[in-house]
Amino acid sequence: MYFPTSLCAVLLSVIALTPQDTMLLHLDEVTVTASHSHAAPIPSQSSIELNAKFITEQLSATLSESLHSIAGVQATAIGSGQSKPAIRGLGFNRLAIIHDGIRHEGQQWGDDHGLEIDRFAVDHITVIKGASALMYGSDAIGGVLLLSPDGPPDRNIGGKACLFAQTVNALYGASVRLKGRTGKFYWKANATWQDYADYSVPTDSFEYYSYRIPLYKRTLRNTAGREADGALALGYTSGHWHTCLRVYETWAKSGFFANAHGLEVRLSGIDYDRSSRDIDLPMQQVNHLKVLWHTAYSHDYWGIELNAAWQHNLRREEAEPVAHGYMPTPPNTLERQFSKHTATLNAAARWNIAAQHTVRMGLQAEMQHNRRNGWGFIIPDFEQYSMGVYASEEWRINSRITLHAGVRYDYAHTHIQAYSDWFATPVGDTAVYMQRSATLSRDFHSFTWSAGIRYRADGWLVRANIGKAFRTPIAKELGADGINYHIFRYEAGNSTLKPEQSYQADLSVAWDNKWIHIQADPFAGYFPNYIYLSPTARYREGLQLYQYTQTQVFRCGAEAMLTVRPWQHLDINVQAEYIYSRQLSGDKAGYGLPFSPPCRMMPELKFHWAPAAFTDMLNGRCDGYASINVRISGAQHAIVPPEKPTNGWWTLNLGAGQRLAFNTCTLALTIKAENILNTKYYDHTSYYRLINIPERGWNISAMVSVEF
Amino acid sequence: MATGAMIVCIFTLILTSCNDKDKDITPPLISTDGFTPANCDIYYAGDTLHVHFLCTDDRELGNFNIEVHNNFDHHTHSTEAADCDDEHLHQGEELHDEHNHADHADAEGAWVFNQDYTIPDGCRQYTADIRIPVPDNAAEGEYHLMLRLTDKAGWQTIKSVAIHIEGHF
Repeated sequence: MYFPTSLCAVLLSVIALTPQDTMLLHLDEVTVTASHSHAAPIPSQSSIELNAKFITEQLSATLSESLHSIAGVQATAIGSGQSKPAIRGLGFNRLAIIHDGIRHEGQQWGDDHGLEIDRFAVDHITVIKGASALMYGSDAIGGVLLLSPDGPPDRNIGGKACLFAQTVNALYGASVRLKGRTGKFYWKANATWQDYADYSVPTDSFEYYSYRIPLYKRTLRNTAGREADGALALGYTSGHWHTCLRVYETWAKSGFFANAHGLEVRLSGIDYDRSSRDIDLPMQQVNHLKVLWHTAYSHDYWGIELNAAWQHNLRREEAEPVAHGYMPTPPNTLERQFSKHTATLNAAARWNIAAQHTVRMGLQAEMQHNRRNGWGFIIPDFEQYSMGVYASEEWRINSRITLHAGVRYDYAHTHIQAYSDWFATPVGDTAVYMQRSATLSRDFHSFTWSAGIRYRADGWLVRANIGKAFRTPIAKELGADGINYHIFRYEAGNSTLKPEQSYQADLSVAWDNKWIHIQADPFAGYFPNYIYLSPTARYREGLQLYQYTQTQVFRCGAEAMLTVRPWQHLDINVQAEYIYSRQLSGDKAGYGLPFSPPCRMMPELKFHWAPAAFTDMLNGRCDGYASINVRISGAQHAIVPPEKPTNGWWTLNLGAGQRLAFNTCTLALTIKAENILNTKYYDHTSYYRLINIPERGWNISAMVSVEF
Repeated sequence: MATGAMIVCIFTLILTSCNDKDKDITPPLISTDGFTPANCDIYYAGDTLHVHFLCTDDRELGNFNIEVHNNFDHHTHSTEAADCDDEHLHQGEELHDEHNHADHADAEGAWVFNQDYTIPDGCRQYTADIRIPVPDNAAEGEYHLMLRLTDKAGWQTIKSVAIHIEGHF
């Protein structure tokens, strides 16, 4: 059961699950095993499995947004309808995103850099809540998102096509998937396109850095965008073997909110209000290419897996050239460009020793090469080489109890290249090209470990885990030295930072039977040296100085989930989460962490009809659902400068879907209405909270899909 | 086991919450009494701009910065800076139209001033008295004076005032 001889068979068995079995939160052992790589152990931390059906029902414009209805997962809105995922309040570089077995590497440190992954090419999402450095290395200090495609197709030809739209930014798009199989060979192809207009908000004006800016037709100027994604997979699968070559390409172009971007708050000569769909300056354009090769051999007693990948993230940010301070008017619009190449090699092996023991060993190596361009400076050029080795042991004491423990060692070498301004600054009587970043070479060593227990019997699933995790400081934290144009502050890196560490204890207790599922996931963690960008009382180059420091941080919290099925067609689902964080040292001792999520609760009533109830309605199967939920958020008064306390709020949301199945094809309609009372509220975890822009008002999204 | 961990967590919460009163969550204040320059004051190129204000903080003041930039495009601030130019009194409401026609050539020769100032350690109250010479060649027009003030904890307060610079007599 734990290690199926064929990954394919298990993946297919997941797809074959009937809809009524795939509840929002399910802990089915088959599912848990399936969407993990077979070389990876079942985590003894709380993890949540989400399938394609769940992702579809969310109808969200971004992948991270589709996860925010999960307790313990937040979507940090970063503007223009883009958002970044966070687990238990930790996101950006404190969250590892493992896409198809490979760590996704973009410019994830950036305040307005979305996730460069096509959500329509993702069929399974596993959310691991809590630090998971043992298997996933640096960045998995807050948690892990495992994104994976479905298994090899089982028919000669099949596919899916969908059309979708939403009102808040007049988005429309289409996605097509084709797949086929000939004997042991298979192929898959995905293509997605979407186009959206300026984002609307329920306010007529807002305040940015003391400037009062009116909004035209209640929309955020120049936040329109377009996205095109493509993916191709060619694979071979037989009893024990599976090998596959995949190529993913995503392209996105979108405007930056024109009134809250740039070196100065200024009024541009561009007529932003002439069209809500055009993309003017300032804007960003991102290409992300990922080529990966996956090979696995799996046997009852042993297995090996090899993943090799190359990624290229090319990001261009363009803005109107404007003289600023001592910088003369730049010659072109290329404000910033980042070109980052990442090569990854992961190898893992498994041996089943006797019936009770499984030993796993693995090696993960990564090379990053980042080059900047443009007249604006925020992060220096750098190279980073890192390597991690781990070994873990799983001991199935009996059918109920499994123990596991593991150790890991990581080495990383970061080399940062010096950067000096391209223009001269007068200092006394001379003019100097100010150095923004000095040459720096650092070696980082980290030793981490993890131990856990898993108990499963009589409807109970209890998981407990303790472990140490780490995160290698990124180039921005080590070498940034300049103005953050999003938020008008001067950010200074710290070349002496040590690897961030955390010690975390997680517990997950769940019990279910046919009618009820109840679960509580408390956690507590301690960071001896959390890397924190601390606002100081000083000014540099006319702006408030923010300095990277390391402080002790304590965090704890819990999620609770309850699903009751009083009638076979009705689910009552309540989720809640609470997070507490506090800095214990440094000049911000006593404060929490920035963007701390307030407590949240989401009760939902979901009425679903299954084939049995409507068998005769059509010549085939049909099933559907209708749901109503309330998102409730508490107030957040645990603030750090420059945040403002945020009041609590609630929104009312509706959703409905219907699936009609015919012989070989399924037609599905899904519709969702969010914030139907058009409540004006502020989300404390949103970047726009800092500039007093409320979250979106009512929004209706819809999707039609055909699967054949 | 779950309840045990919850109790530990809640206990820690109660313990740590007690110290929350130590946190400074109040930004510093810039007093409006006796603040100069007053909104819409007129200065002449070659004059001295006298900036005088009283600032306070409940714990400890940090530092401040004074910046002067032109308002030739007639933007507005949420604090006091008003649009003083009679010809443009209605610009605020029609800003989205106005900025389409803003002539950036206007900004040629505009006066730019940006200076950081320190406040001695341990002050809860400080009176700043700064004399800034307006350059002889400062372009005529409306300017905004921005005053930024921090406290020791890193909170920042911003105040802006509109001033008018005229040419020589």
